[in-house]
Amino acid sequence: MALTENVLEIRDLVKDFPGVRAVNNVSFDIKRNTVHCLVGENGAGKSTLIKILTGAYMRTSGLIRLNGEEYNPHSTRDAKQKGISTLFQELNVVDQLTIEENLTLGMEDTTFGFLRHTDKINKIVGVMNSIEPSLKPRQLVSSLSVAKKQIVEIAKAVAAESNIIIMDEPTAAISESEIARLFTIIKNLRATNVTVIYISHRLDEIFEIGDYVTVMRDGMHVETKPVSQIQDRSELIKMMIGKTVFEQYTPREGHCEDTILQVKHLSNHQLSDVSFDVHAGEIAGFYGLVGAGKTELARAIYGADAYEGDILFKGKKLQLGPDKAIASGIALVPEERRSQGLFTILTIRSNVPVMNMAKISRGGFINSAMERSATLEYVQKLKIATNSIEKEAAKLSGGNQQKVVLSKCLFADADLLMLDEPTRGIDVGAKSEIYSLIRQLSKEGKTIMIFSSELPEIMNICDSIYLMYDGRLKATLRNGCDIDSEKILHIVTGGE
Amino acid sequence: MNSQEHTDVINAKEKTLRQQFDQSAAVRSVIKQFYIYVVLALIVLVLSVVKLDQVSLFGRGSFLSPDSLINLLRSSVPILTLSAPFTLLMISGYIDLSVGSAMSLSAVVFAWLILNGFSFLPTLGLTLILGIVLGSFNGLLVMKLRITPVIATLVTLNLFKGIALLIVPNNLSAIKGSAQQPMPAWINDYGRQEVFLGLPWAFWIGVLMIIVLIIVQRRTLLGKYAAAIGGNRTAAELSGINAVKYVWVLYIVLGLCAALAGMARASYMSLGDPLSGDGMETNCIIAVLLGGTSFSGGEGSVAKTIIGALIIVCVTVGLLTVIPAYWQTVAKGTVLIVAVVLNHLLVREKVKA
Amino acid sequence: MENKLERKPAVSTKLSDESFITFFMIGVLIVLFVLACFVVPNFYRTQNMINLVTNNWFYIVLGIGVSFLLITGNFDMSVGGNIALTAVLSVYFCQAATGSPNDLANGLGLPYPVAIGLALLCAMSVGALNAFFIARLKVPSIIVTLGTMMLARGTAQVVTEGAQRNTSLPDVFGMLGSMGIPGTTIKLAVLVMLALVIIALIVEKRTVFGRRIYLIGANPKAARLSGISVERYLTALYILSALLAGIAGILLASEFRSGMSGQATGYEFDALVISLLGGVSIAGGFGSVGGMFVGALILAVVKSSATGLLLSPNWQFTLKGIVTFIAIIAQRYALDKRRG
Repeated sequence: MALTENVLEIRDLVKDFPGVRAVNNVSFDIKRNTVHCLVGENGAGKSTLIKILTGAYMRTSGLIRLNGEEYNPHSTRDAKQKGISTLFQELNVVDQLTIEENLTLGMEDTTFGFLRHTDKINKIVGVMNSIEPSLKPRQLVSSLSVAKKQIVEIAKAVAAESNIIIMDEPTAAISESEIARLFTIIKNLRATNVTVIYISHRLDEIFEIGDYVTVMRDGMHVETKPVSQIQDRSELIKMMIGKTVFEQYTPREGHCEDTILQVKHLSNHQLSDVSFDVHAGEIAGFYGLVGAGKTELARAIYGADAYEGDILFKGKKLQLGPDKAIASGIALVPEERRSQGLFTILTIRSNVPVMNMAKISRGGFINSAMERSATLEYVQKLKIATNSIEKEAAKLSGGNQQKVVLSKCLFADADLLMLDEPTRGIDVGAKSEIYSLIRQLSKEGKTIMIFSSELPEIMNICDSIYLMYDGRLKATLRNGCDIDSEKILHIVTGGE
Repeated sequence: MNSQEHTDVINAKEKTLRQQFDQSAAVRSVIKQFYIYVVLALIVLVLSVVKLDQVSLFGRGSFLSPDSLINLLRSSVPILTLSAPFTLLMISGYIDLSVGSAMSLSAVVFAWLILNGFSFLPTLGLTLILGIVLGSFNGLLVMKLRITPVIATLVTLNLFKGIALLIVPNNLSAIKGSAQQPMPAWINDYGRQEVFLGLPWAFWIGVLMIIVLIIVQRRTLLGKYAAAIGGNRTAAELSGINAVKYVWVLYIVLGLCAALAGMARASYMSLGDPLSGDGMETNCIIAVLLGGTSFSGGEGSVAKTIIGALIIVCVTVGLLTVIPAYWQTVAKGTVLIVAVVLNHLLVREKVKA
Repeated sequence: MENKLERKPAVSTKLSDESFITFFMIGVLIVLFVLACFVVPNFYRTQNMINLVTNNWFYIVLGIGVSFLLITGNFDMSVGGNIALTAVLSVYFCQAATGSPNDLANGLGLPYPVAIGLALLCAMSVGALNAFFIARLKVPSIIVTLGTMMLARGTAQVVTEGAQRNTSLPDVFGMLGSMGIPGTTIKLAVLVMLALVIIALIVEKRTVFGRRIYLIGANPKAARLSGISVERYLTALYILSALLAGIAGILLASEFRSGMSGQATGYEFDALVISLLGGVSIAGGFGSVGGMFVGALILAVVKSSATGLLLSPNWQFTLKGIVTFIAIIAQRYALDKRRG
């Protein structure tokens, strides 16, 4: 079988979820033995596309050709057998086993169940040696750094004779020198008949390692071009942002000067020396892409994770622990609503009042009437689509679930409300409802901190914008008509 | 201090912390590897020194005398036979609390078969098949029906125990010989009759099982997959491993070994006692904890568990001679809690990088 | 597309899954009961029906604590041992300091209220120990509570030298155990149990404390992020469970006028069984004390039928195993069917 020029051909690919079209008629080719980069803001459709390629999702319609033949995987195992391996952000290695054991996992030669040391193992270890000779096969994976674990996964994918390796934000958790090493490895892979699909928002890396780049935006394919034909960052950035019209931001009068939150030299395993102030009554936006440290910052302020440094809220030092934060008047809407924000097997009514039980109870006893009316109030306020507050939260759609979590936090009557990716997975109509709600709350005197990877959202409603990259606070801007979205994107993708 | 300097300070701090952590990790790793041998040695030492001449169990009153050692090893057959496969199961992240009852049921069936005239090979065959059936049933409940392992095996604990009790006629406490129907003497062949170095077949079969399982853990696919499934089930399944199949096999092996243990006990006592296995699961847990197995799975060593089992036997038998029987339970409970603390200190989750 | 709301959402009268399971198990209870009436001679007698509750009050008392913990996703196997410990200690503390050469006849001679107060404190310290390992050190609850069960029962065995203590007790000792509604078999203990069940139901359904137990069980991570101190609640629950066991122990000791080291052997498993029968799930966040009560009745019917059919007591274990297994599978099937 002659090898086709394109290892993958994607034609009119569509993926629909209830209420939203995540991938909208995307068509492009990936050439064999290249490093093909995939860029786009969060929500652009990259991860959905990748999930379809790896068999985690089924496409709604459209066609994919792998090596010239139709490709329609039903599971991740299917994809693997067809030669597509993926390196996810969550490492899929077994820490308790050695490097050699991980490399050969699932591919062992045995006689009557006994593991045999065959040439196959030598070959596989040889693959790893050619990639990273400093790794000894007998080392325990638990002793390796994240970067080295990634390399083990890469070696495993190569040893499994994958001809496409997808890497999803591989540089998010590794150091500069390790990135350089990774790039050498990727270049070698390309020379040995492997195509790498590289997803990253760090545009410098695209220029350094990429042969081709595909830009996606709002679920649609914008353009696929050889990297050599792209002039500079700003051209890429223009492609990523496109002609998105930002709703006019109206600066507000009556600006309060009191500082409600002071963060001083905050550091932990993900954050480096973050310091800033937030003024009472303002809407502060924290913008950055994956791995920038937004969620970690929110959690640290909330007391959910440990940190070094000081946080002063209303002039007093904040103690560690979400219960202390709530008591002081801070509420957090977490990033992962299902796993961190919602009690899925409980009803809406049981979910909403959770963070402020005192409001619906007397002397420790819950007042059902107050509970019901409070829940109904928020269901209406946020237009949660349900015919009953006794419905199990698990049965709601994603957008409505997010609204329940929002209601829960709003109910806490906090002075400072932190929202981590507040409109993720919510359709356009509901989004604008939430934005008006946020503006309303701000008018009522609440301080709001939004952590988001959607620039339009930040630019739409935030008074001040904090830009994050790689665990650091890179810049602070006041929102206004002279705001330069290209410059913003430049900073959050690693520029200075 | 500007931002760059501050970052440098933080990086430097991190580096020293990491160095300290690595150093202490190295020390911890050494302690982890060898502590169990030290503990065993200590216990043997203590027991040898303490005067035990009052007690007939030890003949001339010396712990290390051949007589008492043989006694010790003979009574350790069940725990030795059971704790090896128990370790493998724990490594895969699963547990079986019904091992004691499976052992009792096997003992009862074994005795019943012999009492009722079955000869050696059929008896052996049927008892072993029983063990496999019991293990398969556990596997079915846990892996196929996906009932939480603790609850599923608590259910089977009662089920097996109940069946064992029901086999024994109402007026008796165990399946044993009587004037009308004596128990054939050859029942002792397996568990009591001295075959080599004063120890019976049961002991040597037990040793064989241990060796086999140590090899399984270190050299076979099953052993590797058990660690993979326990360590990171997602990664294991992504690599194409059928977790259901392999853990089911582990449950079956454990059932088989429970049958062997029951046979050993029945053979030694010349009767089938439906309560003979009571508390075995606790012994296994203690052995496994002392041996440094993590109860979340992925880590563990059959060999170290065996040392842990020997520690338990020494403690149990040794204590039996110096303390009254009614101190046993609280002693065992203390050992378990101590083992939990030790295990917690040694098998800590790694600090996030 | 998301539905647009057309009218105000009503408060639905549809049954929650939890109530559904409770009613389902009540149905099972009725079926079993009717079956028993036909199959077991003399089953349909008023006294028999009363006995179903009065003979099993201690399981239900234990079941309250065990159910609450199960709802949070934890086990407590130490409760049986705790009953024995409390029973024995209440006797020991109260026995007159006769100075007799027989150790077992010698106590601390404390007044009865002090004795039972101290005994309850000892029980609660077992609960605190459980909480320390489980809530703080995050050791699996099954392992810890098996250990503390042995510590508790073992201590009882030591204090009674493996037997029991029952001499030189003041008259007041037997009071609690002999009080009751005159003319019936309904003892004080049964009334205490009923009161505790009612309190537990109220706590479970109407209080903030109870609501938070469900939240912790449903999603411990979200619970923590919602400001609930999971560690503190688990500690409270383990101490509560121990206290309940202690109360049962004191009442039992009073009833028998004796502290037996073998008291309540195996009761922890029965408490677990009735909770499971009642629909409480180890997966967390689901189940009710009311269901546990129904589960206790089901188990009582089964046990009583076995006795009535002249089956030997040895049938208990097998029956418990089979009944629990069927219940788990049946509940899962019923819920799956319901959810469609």
